[in-house]
Amino acid sequence: MSCAQTAVVKSDKAPLLKLRARPLRIALVGNPNVGKSVLFGRLTGQYAIVSNYPGTTVAVTHGRALVGAEVCDLVDTPGVNALEGELSEDELVTRRIVAGGDVDVVIQVVDARNLRRGLMLTSQLAVWGKPLVVALNMMDEARRHGIDVDSAALARRLGVPVIETVATEGRGVAALRQVLPDAVAPSIGFEPGREHAAWAHALAAEFRREQPRVGRRVQERLGRLVREPLTGLPILALVLYLMYLAVGVFGAQTLVGLIEKNVFQAFINPAATALVNRLVPWAVVRDLLVGEYGLITMGITYAVAIVLPVVATFFFVFGFLEDSGYIPRLAIFSDRVFRAMGLNGKAVLPMVLGLGCDTMATMTTRILGTKKERLIAVLLLALAIPCSAQLATILGILGGVSFAALLTLFAVVLGQMFLVGFLAARALPGERSEFILELPPMRWPHMRNVVYKTVLRVRWYLGEAVPLFLIGTVFLFTLSRLGWLAAITRSAEPLVVGLLGLPAKTAQVLIMGFLRRDYGAAGLFNMAHSGQLSGAQAVVALTVMTLFVPCVANFLMMIKEQGSRAAFAILAVVTLIAIGTGAGLNAVLGVLHVTF
Amino acid sequence: MSRFESTRRLSALAAGDRGCVVRVLRDNPARADRLSALGVTPGAPVRVLQTFPGVVFLCDHTEVAIEPAVAGAILIELAR
Repeated sequence: MSCAQTAVVKSDKAPLLKLRARPLRIALVGNPNVGKSVLFGRLTGQYAIVSNYPGTTVAVTHGRALVGAEVCDLVDTPGVNALEGELSEDELVTRRIVAGGDVDVVIQVVDARNLRRGLMLTSQLAVWGKPLVVALNMMDEARRHGIDVDSAALARRLGVPVIETVATEGRGVAALRQVLPDAVAPSIGFEPGREHAAWAHALAAEFRREQPRVGRRVQERLGRLVREPLTGLPILALVLYLMYLAVGVFGAQTLVGLIEKNVFQAFINPAATALVNRLVPWAVVRDLLVGEYGLITMGITYAVAIVLPVVATFFFVFGFLEDSGYIPRLAIFSDRVFRAMGLNGKAVLPMVLGLGCDTMATMTTRILGTKKERLIAVLLLALAIPCSAQLATILGILGGVSFAALLTLFAVVLGQMFLVGFLAARALPGERSEFILELPPMRWPHMRNVVYKTVLRVRWYLGEAVPLFLIGTVFLFTLSRLGWLAAITRSAEPLVVGLLGLPAKTAQVLIMGFLRRDYGAAGLFNMAHSGQLSGAQAVVALTVMTLFVPCVANFLMMIKEQGSRAAFAILAVVTLIAIGTGAGLNAVLGVLHVTF
Repeated sequence: MSRFESTRRLSALAAGDRGCVVRVLRDNPARADRLSALGVTPGAPVRVLQTFPGVVFLCDHTEVAIEPAVAGAILIELAR
């Protein structure tokens, strides 16, 4: 519907019939973590990614909501703490939306427990003069904390409707819909020149009542356990171990084995081969579909049987940790380390996400405060953070070699990360931002939410990954047909065989690694399992692969986030470091006669 | 106890200390803006939860983690 026409049968001031050139556009605005996205879902019936830490609504979500008989355009904006002064990228996005002529009404979502912060934003929103409705959300949690807000009096004072809501249960949503047509610009009596903070403080004190609480809540105790080093570090070790069990063992071994052996090798590939052989008379096409580098036998098999189970289990575990509020608390531990690398504790969010998918993580570096930090984070993700598919391959190959081999690889990769980060922090111009992070409350995640989020992310991953797998396969097939693969492998031989001490075929796997890092990793997996790599060779090859250029998708995201100049520079630096480190490691292992 | 004697930097407080924000130093305006956006403004009630490896405190009902340098810019009047 491009044009909405509504009869408003209401008060004296509203016209009887409203003609609009376009649907009424409503923006949801609020502090991070106040339930905007849940309310968006309630109003539109659609799902917006709901997460328990700031920075997840990276893109703006649009939807349609019914208000009375009118279909309105609803916009979910990134959470903001301020619309004036020093602003983050999320805040700039939201300010552009609110300040722009497109938005007719603003719904400000306020966490009832943090009325002061909410009102501070109200006073800044009022500057833009847009009609406003306040949704006082999480009233249930506020009451449990002994907090009560006199919403009727507050509404009179602000001159706009104030509706109490519990978005997660849908309470108050009908009332909110009802008052939307009455929205007017607030008349808050805010004298210019006065501080927003002082105004908000005075108002909150007037309309908010708080009873002293008795006893400590479980939530608070759990928050303390994961935050304090004495208990938090063992918990972190446990969480990492459970994550390894879920992703590395269940996902990468059980599920991959199940799908690859029982589905692809047993049914799909033989059936596809038989079918293609019967139906397709041309040998070239047959090879393209089911040959050694066939679209079905190689491309689809790798994408669905090897990579998908790993990525899906990772996203599930990550979604669970994300919704529980655990991940931001890791920032407290890692702050000191990241500061040495020109970042701050906040960088732990993209780094952990990178263990799932570096491409997605590169996109999330937007939550970091300065240009310099974003550049360093993108560089470190490309260099040293192995994605879930790679991790699975590393664990799969080196787990069969020895624990010392695994330790060597991680020590070398982490060492490079610190070294490169440390140097980049000093060599690059610009500042790092100070570590100031809001910690969301610890909550038991809603399973439905976690599952839904996993599905959305897997779908994103498939849409982005599978085409690249297929392109990569066609590319490899063409190279092999034209005889270029042998030529490239030969020309890379001195480097791969001489400098890195690896079998010549590894050159081919490394080229595939650029098309998709995990694709190359899967190639190494096959080589290791057919006995073509010794223990030391496996360590060197995997180290180079881990440090090596990111996959094409990640590279495209780097260009998008940092511009092509920076992206190509990172590509060159990372390639040099990868090959240099591999050569160094090969030499050291050779001199020390380490075989693992 | 006079107001002056009980005013301390947040970085000098111990876990469990309570008080109110008196002032946020404005030597770094961007930092002061970010803190103010989280509700760390004069008058806000504060409770220190943890001091190592970073400072974690409860301001109103918002839990905030900061590095020690930032804690040094927040002046707190201790509650008796």
